Amino acid sequence: GGYVATDRLIPIIKMYTLRKGISGKDLGKRGTEFSSRDVPEALGVVPGSIFLICLTFCLVGYATSHPTKLLDCNSALLSICFMLFLGFTDDVLDWPWRYKLFLPTIASLPLLCCYEGSTSIVIPIQLRSTLMKDGLLTPLSKLLCYFVVVDANADGAIVNLGIWYLLYMSMLAVFCTNAINIYAGINGLEAGQSYVIGCAVLLHNLIEIQSDSQSKENHLFSVMIVLSFVGVTLALLKHNWYPASVFVGDTYCYFAGMVFAVVGILGHFSKTLLLFFIPQVINFIWSIPQLFKLVPCPRHRLPKFNAKTGLMEPSTFECKPHEYRWLKFLSNGNKNGTEVANMTVINLFLQIFGPMSEGNLCTALLVGQILCCSLGLFFRYNLAQVFFDE
Amino acid sequence: MNLNGHILSSIPFLPPCYLLVNILLDYSPLQVVTSWVQSFVQRHVQVGNDSIDLSSFQTLHDDGTVLVGPQLLAYVIVALFGYWATDYLIPAIKAYTLKRGISGKDLGKRGTALAEKDVPEALGIVPGAIFLICLILCLVGYSTSHPTKLLDLNSALLSVCFMLFLGFTDDVLDWPWRYKLVLPTVASLPLLCCYSGSTSIVVPIQMRSWLMQQGNLTILGKMSCYFIVVDENADGAIVNLGLWYLLYMGMLAVFCTNAINIYAGINGLEAGQAYVIACAVLFHNLLEIQADSQSKENHLFSAMIMLSFLGVTLALLKHNWYPASVFVGDTFCYFAGMTFAVVGILGHFSKTLLLFFIPQVLNFIYSTPQLFKIVPCPRHRLPRFNAKTGLMEPSTFVCKPDQYRWLKKRRDDTQVANMTVINLTLQLFGPMSERSLCIVLLGGQIIFCTFGLFVRYYISLFFFDN
Repeated sequence: GGYVATDRLIPIIKMYTLRKGISGKDLGKRGTEFSSRDVPEALGVVPGSIFLICLTFCLVGYATSHPTKLLDCNSALLSICFMLFLGFTDDVLDWPWRYKLFLPTIASLPLLCCYEGSTSIVIPIQLRSTLMKDGLLTPLSKLLCYFVVVDANADGAIVNLGIWYLLYMSMLAVFCTNAINIYAGINGLEAGQSYVIGCAVLLHNLIEIQSDSQSKENHLFSVMIVLSFVGVTLALLKHNWYPASVFVGDTYCYFAGMVFAVVGILGHFSKTLLLFFIPQVINFIWSIPQLFKLVPCPRHRLPKFNAKTGLMEPSTFECKPHEYRWLKFLSNGNKNGTEVANMTVINLFLQIFGPMSEGNLCTALLVGQILCCSLGLFFRYNLAQVFFDE
Repeated sequence: MNLNGHILSSIPFLPPCYLLVNILLDYSPLQVVTSWVQSFVQRHVQVGNDSIDLSSFQTLHDDGTVLVGPQLLAYVIVALFGYWATDYLIPAIKAYTLKRGISGKDLGKRGTALAEKDVPEALGIVPGAIFLICLILCLVGYSTSHPTKLLDLNSALLSVCFMLFLGFTDDVLDWPWRYKLVLPTVASLPLLCCYSGSTSIVVPIQMRSWLMQQGNLTILGKMSCYFIVVDENADGAIVNLGLWYLLYMGMLAVFCTNAINIYAGINGLEAGQAYVIACAVLFHNLLEIQADSQSKENHLFSAMIMLSFLGVTLALLKHNWYPASVFVGDTFCYFAGMTFAVVGILGHFSKTLLLFFIPQVLNFIYSTPQLFKIVPCPRHRLPRFNAKTGLMEPSTFVCKPDQYRWLKKRRDDTQVANMTVINLTLQLFGPMSERSLCIVLLGGQIIFCTFGLFVRYYISLFFFDN
């Protein structure tokens, strides 16, 4: 239902955004006749609204069968709705970066206030001896007791983080939203990566439900949310794939990030979720020098389009021949070049595999995402036993 | 706003303020705040320490339910924060909307130097967002003392948030009229889905004999049974509307939002009317709380929402009052309308709420010919500004001398005043400045709200027996 509604509404609503100037130019097509066409932006509002409506209907059915979880569902929806609203104001009013980091924290407040689950974490087996030896607290854990509560009975296995867990939850929301936001720039990438991660989460949920584990309730709840999300995202992807007829805008990145944070927190599988986010994490780490201005950071870092060959190439920033030599090893070994490729995974890809068309690049990156998600699932089910004992 | 404005704005707030202080004066506010800080510190900083010492101040009744006074004080503090935050943020954010072209020209100042100035619009998002944050903070405190009502509060916030979002998309993307009517219905869906209260209404005494006579259903009663359930035990007094009640709730949301939206056009009117109605609702809530009626819970819930709403609206009014430095946009009308619909529905006093909306209802009824295009309807119907006299005059639409004679003062005019209450006021009382006009209209709102309260408490005894 969500897919059909989104699919039909996007073309209608893109007229409105175009008319009011909420649009941008497709920077990946400079030099072709496409480059001067205004492409409607911020179409993330459509899947967002349809998603909320779908979940409201799910809520009706859910209310009768799971009365205890209804509050969770409501506060989750409130957080997502608030994030969608703040995200849309960002697309329209264009807040500076320091506000952008603040928005997801505010939007995650309902979730934090209504969270009544466990705030404890399980310590990996290897680290437990650093906290407790022979039934007595070590000096390290005595130090930690000023901040957290080490559960003496469980022999160092469980640590109750209390209010720090809530802080971790809101940081997760900030991270998910902005990680998707910076791993972007080419047609279909934001919607595509969310689609792949959504499918991975869904798979994880279904495996857990099938194996009838003790957290079946939580995973069923997560399935409900992610199914609607996958539906609306697929419809958006259909319109956003190369060549894109609509742009998703920051609205969609905020929306998707918050949805993932919400299911991770309320489904109690945030560590698994972070495993699915490996490409985004790598992109973030690789971008740190530019984000923290250790290295110059231009306004847009998406790949450059070469009109003659019709392929994408890494975008660059200017520098003197002797600067940043440690970065130049990748670009044809020229240690005295005056240009350095921008430090994003997308550009890195192009440097390693050579120039390719936008459609192929997106496909390649999404395949990489699928591989990383599979790896994440592998870790979760096979290697996790090395660190945790259950 | 100068001193005059401060005095004027406090008039509607005086009655609820009096009651508020009355309830709160039973306890010393300073004591309450210190005990909260103490219990918060104990609960969160010393994690794992189970004993919480509240002996310094008692916040519980003997039977375990939380006292009303401290709660209200908490909500007042949150509302004050809301006022301060909105007041601080509006000037900061108006620069952004101006930069992106979300602005309009002040049509009420044509012919003066101000007419060319771009006034930032859609500043309704600021009170809206601050309101949501305030209520989330209230949620934290509310969840510990009223666990059963938490779901209601969440679904209410979700509806208001969704409405705020859709309202902002309307301000930015400018939907046509048919979508504007659907938006509030969509936004009220969470409220409808989670509504777990009664769907019955009480029938007025005079009408009960139509439904039941001497213990048997009348013909009308039997016919109605095809749609609704008549409660035979109560002798025709209670009728369970079921799904039709939910439809009524959805329609209430649509009505409230659009009623505020069309009763607008001059500086300070939208925010002002919302402020006056909110004061009236708050007063009604406090009366019920003080009288310790059986619906005290619902009214406390409603008071919590109204206090924060008052705080943010007052700050917005300060910037929107004549001469306006910001416009509230459709965003605020949607936001305010939905908030009122939510408190009316969840507090179970929607009939009283509609009594407070009498000026908006009158405006809607009077505008009906133009809204349904029976009579020509220009794009803007706000009063015209006469640059020479500096006063507002009724705006008009052009027609032939022989048309619409039933509307005209002089039978052969070629212009007819637009049919809104604002223009009607100008026609009755003559041209006046924009500021005076707004004050007169808000004064009318206060009179009607007082009248509504009077009807609720005295005349309703004629129709209902409790």
